[in-house]
Amino acid sequence: MNRIDDILTCNEALDLLEPYVDGDLSPAEAARLRSHLESCPACAAELALAERIQRELRSLPQLDCPPEIVERVRRQGAEVVPFRPRRMGLPLRVAAAAALLALSLGGGALFVRSQQQHQRERAAEIAQATAQARYALALLGRVSRRTGLDVRDEVLARRVVLPAARSISQSLSLSGVSRGAAPQPPVPDRGEQP
Amino acid sequence: MLTAFDDTARAYRSRIYSFARYLLSSREEAEDVTQEVLLRLWRHQDGVDEERLGSWLLRVTRNACYDLLRRRRSDATQALATSLDDEAAPELASAEPGPQARAEAEDFRRRLLAVLGELGEPYKSVIILREVQGLAHREIGETLGIPEVTVRVHLHRGRKKLRERLRETES
Repeated sequence: MNRIDDILTCNEALDLLEPYVDGDLSPAEAARLRSHLESCPACAAELALAERIQRELRSLPQLDCPPEIVERVRRQGAEVVPFRPRRMGLPLRVAAAAALLALSLGGGALFVRSQQQHQRERAAEIAQATAQARYALALLGRVSRRTGLDVRDEVLARRVVLPAARSISQSLSLSGVSRGAAPQPPVPDRGEQP
Repeated sequence: MLTAFDDTARAYRSRIYSFARYLLSSREEAEDVTQEVLLRLWRHQDGVDEERLGSWLLRVTRNACYDLLRRRRSDATQALATSLDDEAAPELASAEPGPQARAEAEDFRRRLLAVLGELGEPYKSVIILREVQGLAHREIGETLGIPEVTVRVHLHRGRKKLRERLRETES
């Protein structure tokens, strides 16, 4: 093949043959190509081949689908047969495994993080509850000390002081120190005694 | 629902089968793919946009063919010309008048089908959809998910490759 003019070489012309056959060239480009082809038999022969290829391809028949395939699909579809899953290739399987692993690790990390977060939150809650309980106990203690002083004195007098006095008195009378009445401890009058 | 499926299946079954047949060069595999694609149509018929149904079906067909080609053993590859001989003999018969011209035309077609069968993607799909199936560039673009201008570029490059390989087979 030779160089015909300064504008279009054979290689350039050969690149334009298929677009030219399809009518995809601009009028100016098509004119330049025609000009080249008129004086280049080799490129003209290539154009003839390009046109023949297109003609042959366009004459290839549309092949008929066997009708029983549609009938088969209709039967399978009516029976609600699940679509047959295609077996995954190795790269897909590796990708799926990697995705599962990543999901597990991610999920595990999230779970651990969530557990740690949960523990931190619980510890804070416990600390707060403990502080509140301490405050409540302290308050209750103060209140009970104020309201329970008399009760405590009365109880002490009835349960401890009087029995102790009786015991001492009996001990003294047994030892002959005194036969007089035992000394009576002061008992607060609270109107509770009959 | 049944009628709608029947209508769609009848309208597209040969296009699906033919596309798969030229891509795979195997009648049995093309039938399997067609069945698989029509089953998908059955399952998704309510969810597919009517206007894009053709593109969707051909896209599913192409993907199913790709999956099959990836799994296929290398020795299962068939020559497209040989596999078409028994199925489309009347359509493939040359209309040339003389026996010599007829023989030459049949030889040319056989070589063309051979190089088409060996052509890589996306050129093969684009050429089958455009030249054999007669789809518009826009429809091919929708099917393959590429712009129209890319369809034209693939088409030109694919046919150029065919032309160059045909020249090689001559020598």
